[in-house]
Amino acid sequence: MGMGGEQGRSLLWSPYFELLAFLVTSARGLVDEPQVYGPLRLLDAAVKLIDIMEKEGIVTSELKELRRLILEKSNLVMVDERAFIDFLDELSKKIAEIIKKDLENVQTRQEPS
Amino acid sequence: MSHDVLPGDARVVFEVIRGRRCIREFIDKEVPSEYLRVIVEAGLWAPSGSNLQPREFILVRDKNLLRAVKLVSPGLYGNPSALLIICYNKNTARKGGRLGETMALLDAALSAQNIMLMAYALGVGSCPVMSFNKMAVKEILDIPDYVEPVLMISLGYPKSWPKPPRRKSVEEVLHVDGYGRRAR
Repeated sequence: MGMGGEQGRSLLWSPYFELLAFLVTSARGLVDEPQVYGPLRLLDAAVKLIDIMEKEGIVTSELKELRRLILEKSNLVMVDERAFIDFLDELSKKIAEIIKKDLENVQTRQEPS
Repeated sequence: MSHDVLPGDARVVFEVIRGRRCIREFIDKEVPSEYLRVIVEAGLWAPSGSNLQPREFILVRDKNLLRAVKLVSPGLYGNPSALLIICYNKNTARKGGRLGETMALLDAALSAQNIMLMAYALGVGSCPVMSFNKMAVKEILDIPDYVEPVLMISLGYPKSWPKPPRRKSVEEVLHVDGYGRRAR
């Protein structure tokens, strides 16, 4: 059995396998790479995950906005480390806002009528 | 010094040096084979320690192979139409004595710059990538043990040419006639 995997399915162009290979090879690479590349790789992985969610039709506009921000600002890691860390804080806050909004929706649905 | 005073060829060379950018987003357009060949040839004209020329290059153009290499290269962004993997031959490098491997690495770096400048002069974008899994790339591309991949250069037509990041000034980094004596 080669790259085709079981039942002749190819993993080569699978977005899940792309994320998997990215995580594993990043893990090895980060042993030797600059420390700040760790968060960078995690953000890259987040983009790949949002791409997958989009293909599966479960992405929200907030997540699309999150991806846009990551793609726009990740390069701060190369030019301004402090600004990059501030950006990570900004992203974390946005994640919290997404969770909070979702939580409110869940609770509203669960309230007895 | 104002760059306007540079004579013809020097001005062109300097414009190419200053214009090159790292490209991480490419459009879906093939780089012609003849361009790729001259880009590699530019790499060969870089200096080589003891003239050993231990450099070898692997050009990847096949879409499936490009995808396979990309899967194990976390530092490779975008979808370039070609990848040029700069390697050195350990058997050749060994002829350089204890410095052989260091010289081979420097040779690879010197070649890489020529390659990226030539690419830019042809309107082709490039980006050097060190963050790739060497073991996996060697396995995927059947690279023998005595050949070491050092640097990957992605090649393709850019979606856009980004603005340059700030560069240190000459005054910040140049010491004249002794460390700590600044240029005026």
